[in-house]
Amino acid sequence: MSAAAESPGARRGAVYDRSYRPYEGPRGRRAAATAALYRASIRRALGLRRSWRQKVAPFVLLAVVSVPAIVNVGIGYITRERRLPIEIITYRDYVGVSSALLLFVALVAPDVMCPDRRQRVLPLMFSRPLVGTDYVVAKVGSITTILFAFSFLPQVVLFVGNMLVSDSALDYFTGHLDVLWHVPASVALLAVYYAVVGCAVASLTDRRIVAGASVIGLFLVTSIASAVIVDNGPDRGPSPGSPGALVNVLRLPLYLRDLVFLGHVDPASPLGGVDRGGMYAVGLYVAVLGLGLGVLWRRYRWVER
Amino acid sequence: MLLRLTALTKRYPAVTALDGLTLEVPRGLIGLVGANGAGKSTMFRLLLGLTQPTEGHIQVCGVDVAADPIEVRSRLGYMPEHDCLPLDQTAADVVSTFGELSGLPRRAARQRASDILDLVGLDEARFRPIGGFSTGMRQRTKLAQALVGDPELVLLDEPTAGLDPLGREEMLALVARLGTFGISVIMATHLLDDVQQVCDHVVMIDAGRLVVAGETASLLDRTGAVTVDVGRHHDELVAGLARAGVAAAVVNGAVEATVDGDLQLDLVRDVVADLGLPLFRLSTRLTSLDEVFLRSAGGPE
Repeated sequence: MSAAAESPGARRGAVYDRSYRPYEGPRGRRAAATAALYRASIRRALGLRRSWRQKVAPFVLLAVVSVPAIVNVGIGYITRERRLPIEIITYRDYVGVSSALLLFVALVAPDVMCPDRRQRVLPLMFSRPLVGTDYVVAKVGSITTILFAFSFLPQVVLFVGNMLVSDSALDYFTGHLDVLWHVPASVALLAVYYAVVGCAVASLTDRRIVAGASVIGLFLVTSIASAVIVDNGPDRGPSPGSPGALVNVLRLPLYLRDLVFLGHVDPASPLGGVDRGGMYAVGLYVAVLGLGLGVLWRRYRWVER
Repeated sequence: MLLRLTALTKRYPAVTALDGLTLEVPRGLIGLVGANGAGKSTMFRLLLGLTQPTEGHIQVCGVDVAADPIEVRSRLGYMPEHDCLPLDQTAADVVSTFGELSGLPRRAARQRASDILDLVGLDEARFRPIGGFSTGMRQRTKLAQALVGDPELVLLDEPTAGLDPLGREEMLALVARLGTFGISVIMATHLLDDVQQVCDHVVMIDAGRLVVAGETASLLDRTGAVTVDVGRHHDELVAGLARAGVAAAVVNGAVEATVDGDLQLDLVRDVVADLGLPLFRLSTRLTSLDEVFLRSAGGPE
């Protein structure tokens, strides 16, 4: 430090050369590094600390998926005196609306994954106390968290709104206790699934546009293939379902939602009436998750690459 | 001891990147010198525990890399040669994020990012996106992210690559300052001038093998040559030295004579006096690391 010459009555000034100060505080290891990467990925996905353009997509999508809840509560408020049990959308259906967040996954998963590879940031990350598994956990965890929040918050709005416009908030609450675990459980299943699939597909390329198109393409192709198989399959009589419905990887978590809400696959769904359809859906769900995590683990197994 | 390598070998299917390197390096500013493909980057990957040696052992800062690579990485900073920064983020965000990734708490990471960016001369630009930075500013940002975690050792891979002469001088001055902060540095480069300018130890490798290692000063002292400037009378002096049994030649407008000890140095002085030549300069010529490298790499093994 060097101080400016003092003169009586003059305001004293000083120039400080802060130089280099060693850090002597607490220091974390893998868990701290993983948590830091998780937070950085959430910021990136939501466009925080980035230009306003990056913030538009996530928050517009949040607004869009919140619309049904707001409309439902609004109608309930308007018609509260008429005592009409108007329910535009159920909690179970609302989980299906959240599948629109696939668009969000196609946008955000590539944005969170691809630049690290394209801009060659990975060597910097893996020179920290971090391993490939930590990286995958942080990235998938961040997207899962956002998907869960974006799916769950509108449901909270719906639940609280319905409760407030009902005749008795307490009666509504006690009468819908099962919703308090049905919704988080099914939304979590959906969020984890889309996050893993989105990240796994995005990890295969370093180009965001290719990754985004691949995510949407995967879901579209399997949806169409499933529809073709189900429609052209053998006549199953009164049962509308077909095992071919399982090919649709977009819809797969919705069968698990039905299992959570109903305890069985919805008979009106494409898988309805299929013997052990629920069990197959769970098995395939686990297999897809396993495959996705396997792809991610292999892509980020930095050692010996 | 900063680094202890024992019979370190790394083989890939098509090439042997490092071949039986045994070496001990003390703390300080170390130059890792070698031509492109000599094994420098492989060495860094091994030190960081990002790849496993085929044979041998590595200790960095007293920690066995194979046994605890995470501990090693928490003590190291790394600045790669290639572009590696997220271009759409500000320098402050990037450096503080890497501080957190190094294990620092969030607030400490932001504070240190600010301090380190100030140290590397980016205090004014720290809230600008890196995409708008010049090559020199990006190199400084890369150095800042390597330092933000307060490492014991920083691995710098070609830190002056792509810089103009002024940027190069500034980067080397920064590297030299790290030593005064108690941070050891291993600087991989093929530019021997850079090493000669800032490093107090040199490790030279070629085709994965150790060529020579030691203190820079001791390597440079091995020349045994003096430079004699006698104006335009080079040829007379060379002939006179030859008659006196001293090998000499004209190099870059001056006479270079090979001497062995003080007696021969006196002999050179006497020859100049006997010939009545004007003596403008008589100085010991330090060899360059280029010569040490070429002599050692090309010599018999």
